[in-house]
Amino acid sequence: MDNARGEGGEMKGLKNLPLSLRERKRYIAFKIIPEEGEDFTYSDLQAGIWNTLLDFLGEYGVSRTSFWLMKDCWDEGQKMGILRCNHKSIDVVLTSLGMIDRLGDNRITFKILNITGTINSIKKKNYCSFKG
Amino acid sequence: MTVFLENWFIKSAYKINLGSLLFCGEVMKCFDLHVSPAFSEGRSSPEQIIERARLLGFSGICLVDGIKNYKPHREIKSSFDTKKFGIFIGFEATKASDLDRLVGKRREFDILIVKGGDLKINRRAVETPEVDILSIPEYERIDSGFNHIMAKLAKTNQVALEINFREALNSHKSTRSHIMQKMALNMMLAKKFRVPVITTSGAFSHLQLKDPYILSSFGVLLGLTPEESRAAISKTPEDIITVSKEKQAEEWIMLGVKVVK
Repeated sequence: MDNARGEGGEMKGLKNLPLSLRERKRYIAFKIIPEEGEDFTYSDLQAGIWNTLLDFLGEYGVSRTSFWLMKDCWDEGQKMGILRCNHKSIDVVLTSLGMIDRLGDNRITFKILNITGTINSIKKKNYCSFKG
Repeated sequence: MTVFLENWFIKSAYKINLGSLLFCGEVMKCFDLHVSPAFSEGRSSPEQIIERARLLGFSGICLVDGIKNYKPHREIKSSFDTKKFGIFIGFEATKASDLDRLVGKRREFDILIVKGGDLKINRRAVETPEVDILSIPEYERIDSGFNHIMAKLAKTNQVALEINFREALNSHKSTRSHIMQKMALNMMLAKKFRVPVITTSGAFSHLQLKDPYILSSFGVLLGLTPEESRAAISKTPEDIITVSKEKQAEEWIMLGVKVVK
């Protein structure tokens, strides 16, 4: 029986795509260096990144990057996080991050820590506090 | 067998590409040759800039001043350990008269940058072998300010063309798209005529300094290959610094000519 169907034949969910058909992802670990005495929240970060991406690339452009900011991997203490995009759009995503110099009223600088092909290799290097 | 070999080649090429990206900040020496500190037009002290550049993974930076109050700034170099982190002093000419004055004092500083924009100064810059970098030839112009003849001259005199990230950072919407279009056109000419290209942040404060990964990616967006783009932040600036040291020596007369004792 098809794995995607239950005992009664009803659909349980989509069957996973074979590896060869899946999109090739890249995980970018980043750290944000805020100015002394200035702080920001995760929602500032989310709004800042999405607004800049949409300004710089447009809605269609962002759709081509498969961009995703991974909320579970945000480390509030260290100000480190991970975002995901596809392997063809690393350069546009990184340039867009470079266009961000403020989050709300706070001045910040992005430092790129690592770019990997799997989330596990980032976790091994302790760039991500989320172990789930 | 052929399929196996092809797959192996693709996999190994993928590994090399990803590996070199991974080591960008650690193995490759990255330089930012255009930063304006507080003694120039900038807003941050040299200490703040150097601290932030180290944090971002640069191996050296060039602090750029204008000709207005000419001073070689030797005390900055002596106050830092330049063996661990390269600190270079550059001067920027915006007019032909400034360029003449700076060419006369060429042995006193490390890097000579010409801020382009005007066609005459763009042309003078690429014709002068003492000049190291032509910065933003497209500045406030409708055209790109750089053509195939200038490209040939720049190649002959080894004048590097600069991609300045601040130009894109400080502009918005249609202005940014125009600037990037002109930069891409200049990059196409630079690639065709093998003009050296460097990518800089052009920062006016330590907050505008950008990560080497980001500068490298910006080059790729403007039409450089990943290898060329990486060279624009590492190998080419390193070559400029080496040639510049030769230019500062008393034996140096012009490109390829020096006194042998």
